[in-house]
Amino acid sequence: MIFAFANQKGGVGKTTTAVTLADGLARMKKRTLLVDLDPQGHLALSFGLEKSAGLYRLVCLDEPLSEVVQSVRPNLDLVTGDKQTEKVKRQITLADFRESILSDMLAASDYDAVLLDMAPSLDVLHLNGLIAADWVVIPTRLDALAIDGVKEILNTMAEISQSGHRYRGYSILPTFFDRTTRETLIQFEEITRVFGKAVWPPVPQDTRVRETAAYGQTLWEYSPGSAAIGGYVESRQHLGGYRQVLGRLLEVIDGG
Amino acid sequence: MVDEKKARRTTLDPAVADLLEGMQQRQAEAQMPKSERERLARERAKIQARRDQRATYDLPPAIREGIRVLAEELHLPASQLATLALARFLIDYQNGSVELAQYKQPSRSPRYDWNLIFPDELIMTLARKKKG
Repeated sequence: MIFAFANQKGGVGKTTTAVTLADGLARMKKRTLLVDLDPQGHLALSFGLEKSAGLYRLVCLDEPLSEVVQSVRPNLDLVTGDKQTEKVKRQITLADFRESILSDMLAASDYDAVLLDMAPSLDVLHLNGLIAADWVVIPTRLDALAIDGVKEILNTMAEISQSGHRYRGYSILPTFFDRTTRETLIQFEEITRVFGKAVWPPVPQDTRVRETAAYGQTLWEYSPGSAAIGGYVESRQHLGGYRQVLGRLLEVIDGG
Repeated sequence: MVDEKKARRTTLDPAVADLLEGMQQRQAEAQMPKSERERLARERAKIQARRDQRATYDLPPAIREGIRVLAEELHLPASQLATLALARFLIDYQNGSVELAQYKQPSRSPRYDWNLIFPDELIMTLARKKKG
């Protein structure tokens, strides 16, 4: 099952979400692969590694996936990225069947879940990620500009679907959620009205999230008790947070 | 007539629906006069405090009914009678005057090692007294 984490708007929490959910899946004994499609290469830093040209070696040098991946945690492998990822885009642009190159490369892998961390752009690599994906997770801040990014991704998905690709679904994940502001409520009401059940429980804004990357740790390692993981506690009930989102992801993987 | 608000909510993720409802409630309260907001805050605090005093146990209907009938007879809250009954039991148990061994049977549940199997007469006595 391949998940793409996409939003053309930057700074909405795509990388943090991909890292946290990938590590969460790995902790649930799911064999997971995380792929960095962003030339910024931040996935490697999130696990305390140096950036490297994993994706470039996979696509441009034709090295097998098994030799390119780095094992970053138990059950969790990573294909890193760096500025060489820009060359990958050029190579793909010149290739035949260029839209499905990534999909073909991942098709033979035997992971329970593959998570693609996409760059905030709309280029050939982004398109490859969306075509490879079975399910698209769209992290978004609850502001008008970010929600416009959601609509853009959904338009692109609709175009891809018209050319024959079948998505199993998509989810919208509100991030940096601050339930005390009126603007959050207005935008939350709007996206739930428009997208209904496709809206997953939000991830509360939490300074712990910003600190994790600096320590090269995931949220589960650095701050498992944080609001970003556990969500809001109301009437002994946890609402939102990555733990609940992980549950939704597992339901998708297990076909629940 | 269909309640539109509720009909819409059924299409949402349950956690999203609960969170949204809480936020809308808080927003509505923020528009209220100060005295009304304070009244609601006091009510919430009362409910919160009461929540820590609540527990849910599975009880044979005869016991639940026995407590209810006695509470009515004595014009007392049933919760207070149940509190007294449980407090007496805990004290008796700590004094060693309650023996559980006679009721214990191995449990097949992964959560528990034992079940307490009560003889029918223990419960039937209550039921007979209730009828009498």
